[in-house]
Amino acid sequence: MTLLMKQIFAFFRLLNSDTGHNQLAAGLACGIILGFSPFLSLQTFIVIFLLFFFRIQIGAAFLSAFFFKFIAWLADPIADTLGRQVLESPPMRPLFVELYNMPLVPMTRFNNSIVMGSMIFGFLLAVPAFFLFRSLILKYRVTVVSRFEQTRFWKAWKATKIYGWYSTYEKLYL
Amino acid sequence: MTNQTPAKKTKAKGPVRWEAVIPFTIVVLLTVLYVHFFFDGHLRRALEWGLGAGLGAQVDVADLKTSFTSAHLSVKGIDLTDSEQPSRNSLSVGEIRFGMSWDALLRAKILVNEAVVDKIEFGKPRGRPGWVKPPEPPKADDGSPSMAEKLKQEALEKVQQKYDQNVFGDLAAILGGGSAQVQLDKIDQSLNSKKMAQALEAQVKAKQQEWNERLKALPKASEFQALGDRMKAVKTKDFKSPQELQQSLQQLDAIFKEADAKVKSLQQAGQDLDGDVKKIDAEVKALEAQIKADVKSLEAHFKIPQIDAKALVMALFRKQIDKYMGKVQTYKALADKYVPPNLLKKGTDKPDPSMQPRPRAQGVSYEFGRPNSYPLFWVKRTAVSSQAGASAYAGNIQGEILDITSNQVLINKPTIANIAGDFPGMGISGFSTKLTVDNRQEASLVELLAAVKSYAIDGRDLISGGDVNIAFAKATGGVGVKATLKALKELDLSFDNRFQNIDYQIAAKSELVDTLLKSIFKSIPVVTVDGRFSGTFPRINTSLNSNLGPELQKGLEREVNAKIAEARLKIEKYVQDEVGKYKAQIDAEVAKIKQQVSGELKKVQEQADAQKKQAEARADQAKKDAENSAKKSVEKEATKAAEELKKRLGL
Repeated sequence: MTLLMKQIFAFFRLLNSDTGHNQLAAGLACGIILGFSPFLSLQTFIVIFLLFFFRIQIGAAFLSAFFFKFIAWLADPIADTLGRQVLESPPMRPLFVELYNMPLVPMTRFNNSIVMGSMIFGFLLAVPAFFLFRSLILKYRVTVVSRFEQTRFWKAWKATKIYGWYSTYEKLYL
Repeated sequence: MTNQTPAKKTKAKGPVRWEAVIPFTIVVLLTVLYVHFFFDGHLRRALEWGLGAGLGAQVDVADLKTSFTSAHLSVKGIDLTDSEQPSRNSLSVGEIRFGMSWDALLRAKILVNEAVVDKIEFGKPRGRPGWVKPPEPPKADDGSPSMAEKLKQEALEKVQQKYDQNVFGDLAAILGGGSAQVQLDKIDQSLNSKKMAQALEAQVKAKQQEWNERLKALPKASEFQALGDRMKAVKTKDFKSPQELQQSLQQLDAIFKEADAKVKSLQQAGQDLDGDVKKIDAEVKALEAQIKADVKSLEAHFKIPQIDAKALVMALFRKQIDKYMGKVQTYKALADKYVPPNLLKKGTDKPDPSMQPRPRAQGVSYEFGRPNSYPLFWVKRTAVSSQAGASAYAGNIQGEILDITSNQVLINKPTIANIAGDFPGMGISGFSTKLTVDNRQEASLVELLAAVKSYAIDGRDLISGGDVNIAFAKATGGVGVKATLKALKELDLSFDNRFQNIDYQIAAKSELVDTLLKSIFKSIPVVTVDGRFSGTFPRINTSLNSNLGPELQKGLEREVNAKIAEARLKIEKYVQDEVGKYKAQIDAEVAKIKQQVSGELKKVQEQADAQKKQAEARADQAKKDAENSAKKSVEKEATKAAEELKKRLGL
């Protein structure tokens, strides 16, 4: 839990800094895949592995996953219909038969209509979402963060001892 | 000169998070340690909990070992508590072990080439009584019991409703004799027919009163006589003028109308009387039907039995049937709950092996099979073996179960279990069973062929706790069972039991019954019981036949029939005594009303008719007379005119 909270704080810190917009956007995009995938599935493990071994913002991924899990739940009926259509499509049958009998692939649980439908949504959304999140982060930094830093309130807050202590703590430990 | 320290140059971090290697290694290490030290224990507890929840009774697993590298599982000491006798296990299995194929596991499938089930025991006593799930409370929404309970209850009620009377107890009571009249004398509830007769009698009396009043109001003979006198006074001839004729006719018409109204009132009274008599007749018939119903009801009250071979057999073996039918319904309910829906019924007549939809709680999971591919779950062969001797509850069992799978269509093989053996400690020998579960067609088909050549019976109560106790103190039984179950709904199960070397234990309160039953049973050395359960769940029809039925019927009929006839006569006499006097009174009163009212009416009616005819005759006569006088007057006038004319002409 501490680790998760640390990652979420890091997400907000990074969001308000000048760097790491690619990490943040990648994390948010990975969160979409996590949100649209069942927890016990191969794709979830692969994404978690990627989050651990590549410099992708984990806090952003988990926050995004939490949000998109809810969206995915709402979209279940649509995903079910889409998944059924895809899985029952005769031209795709040989491919699915092949995939179903291959090692590891069945662990994605692609043969379930909701998983298949959600997987299509998740992967289709992830790529454009990366670029969208990236541009939104940059815009946010220019418009919101820099303006906020110019406000009297922020300047007053920066002058306080509490902020000084926090800065020292951040330098030392974060 | 300022003493500024140069800004510390931070090394740009690459895309790979190398610092995560150590935490990841720690996580992997912890996982390995958990699997090595704790996983087996947790899996064992999960298995105990899951099976216990599913079966509704405590399940104990002594030991569970898994091996990740060889995908091997071994479960030892499985004890399933008997939910009806928690101090015993319904089944104990020494060990189940099997290895799974890694090739299949990597494809998210479970394939077991050979599983071994070893050391099977039935009815083994437990160290301490096991937990049994309490009956499910009624659902909050409609207050109805659970489905399993409902099915069980329905099956039991069906048998009990039909054969609830303790036929043997009733027969004993009848044979004891003498009590019926005493009870009849003491009977405090009044008979329905008696109440009905009393009400009808009051009704008839009221009717009689009503008719007396009505008769008084009806036109009397004297009134018709007066009308006749008035009519005679009316002038009917020698009319001097047409006005006079007209006046007479008007008087006659008025008298005629008056007479007609009186006649109509008499006719209405006659019709009303007919209606009342019919109504009373119908109520008398209803009273007679009620008397018959009362006789029947009293016969049931005093439990006058029908000596019927079938009823006798059901009374003897009902307890056993209840027990087994209850179990069948419970297991059926469990199957309905846990068997995947596609095993109950598939969508198409010819299933396509390349795709099998498997509906789930969320979405639909499809199995994309192909020839020689793995189904989701497949145990190719399970060897079942057990050696007697280790305990009195263990048996010599040899057998195999072939092709337990989630997709029979894909492998194109049904699941077949062939198990045979004996349990010397329990006196069971020649046990064999062949079970086939075929789910390849639209409706699943389960076929069972089982037999036990010989099993020992030690103290089995057939009838107990009443006036008569019948039990097998000792016997040797043999049983054969043949059953088919289609779509887990349509059951057809037949069995034949044969009991021999029987040591009957018979006791009856009445000495006569005791002697009679002992002599009858003495002449039956072998008892056969054939039965059949057929129908669609939960409405299963039960039929039982046994050689005991006709033998008992023959033996009992002689003694009991005379007593039954005597009791029936007593009851009929009682009812007749109670109700008969009222009925006789009613009949007499009805006859009296009929005679009195209809006689009176007839008399008046006749007089009225006579007066009416007389009035009509007089009116006709007046008209005729008027015509004649008119004619004469015209002739007279004509003659006079002719003579005057002759005079004028000088003729």
